[in-house]
Amino acid sequence: MSLDDLLPFLSSRDGALELFNLKRLPRVTLYFRKGKLNCVYLGNKPVDSLQARSVIGELIEARKGSFEFIPNSRPPACPEVLGWPVDRMLISVTTTYDEYAQVSDRLPHPETVFKLTHIAVPDDTRLSDFWKRAHIYLQEGASAQQLSAKLGMPVDHTRFYLLKLQQLGAVAAARAHAPQKQERRAGVAARLLGSLKKRFFGEGSAWSH
Amino acid sequence: MEPLKVVVAGPVGAGKSTLIRTLSETEVVDTDALASENIGKATTTVAMDYGTLHLGDQLLYLFGTPGQDRFDFMWDVLSEGALGLLMLIRGDRPEDFGPARRLLDYITSRQPVPFVIGVTRQDQPPVWGPEEVAPFFGVPLERVVGLNAKDPRSAVGPLLRLLELILAEEQAT
Repeated sequence: MSLDDLLPFLSSRDGALELFNLKRLPRVTLYFRKGKLNCVYLGNKPVDSLQARSVIGELIEARKGSFEFIPNSRPPACPEVLGWPVDRMLISVTTTYDEYAQVSDRLPHPETVFKLTHIAVPDDTRLSDFWKRAHIYLQEGASAQQLSAKLGMPVDHTRFYLLKLQQLGAVAAARAHAPQKQERRAGVAARLLGSLKKRFFGEGSAWSH
Repeated sequence: MEPLKVVVAGPVGAGKSTLIRTLSETEVVDTDALASENIGKATTTVAMDYGTLHLGDQLLYLFGTPGQDRFDFMWDVLSEGALGLLMLIRGDRPEDFGPARRLLDYITSRQPVPFVIGVTRQDQPPVWGPEEVAPFFGVPLERVVGLNAKDPRSAVGPLLRLLELILAEEQAT
């Protein structure tokens, strides 16, 4: 049974769904109460909302694993109560994964450094969760790989969020600068420019575009 | 005098090899191989293209990078210390703009290299022009040049623009 079939089935009951024997994740525990997903544990630690989205996405992708439902089990601690209605959460995560599949060839390289272009929290809650955690690092410039390590989420997920923020104009690739080299090049550029124009357009005619 | 290099990058089929063949005064060394997947043409560059231009006493190397992602290590190797970068995209293939932006962002965020975007196939309308491409890449219009990679006078356009921009940057500082 797939997770997106299993969750709606179990979410009407209060308790904990433990998932294990997963390829890319340690034991995951989802705590439900009154039809809402309130808390996610990865191993022995609760995760925040941004990481929780990543974990649910990974679970849906995983397709293989074992599970056990423990009725009326409560989390030992839950610093951030998610309160996500299960049906809406599933639609949101599934939509994200569909989008991800469509843009996979456009995702930024893991080492491309991005910087914030302006400070404005995106309206989309999927992006705003990421933005709230990542914007401190993006002010100085950070790559998907660096953000993945800082935020504790898969690098492909940070690449996806960075692409979405780039499409919104909230971040842009940080261009590397080397002023000294530019000065050295400029003298060369003047000589090359004259020679190239002469080579391709002769003495009399000019290039214009 | 130390030779300089210009890197020509872009997605598969953007016209990188064609542009280098058009501009080079020596026979181009290429590393084309039969394509192992459907990329819309029979052969593709797997390491680099290499051509030369002698301009006065200055030797200019033209290096074309492979377009496929699995050769991304070559992007860094070729771009390091380059005079400039010409990023080519096919004007009639907007689906390639995303991967091209990805490549441009990667190289320019790691290497301090001035760049110009060249939009090829301007001789075969309908195609996207520079004024439509510039906003997609988030760059000023002056950094985008339309061209026909087979025509020498047109193919040299992005290189001329690159040199003009380098000069303009110097005058501004």
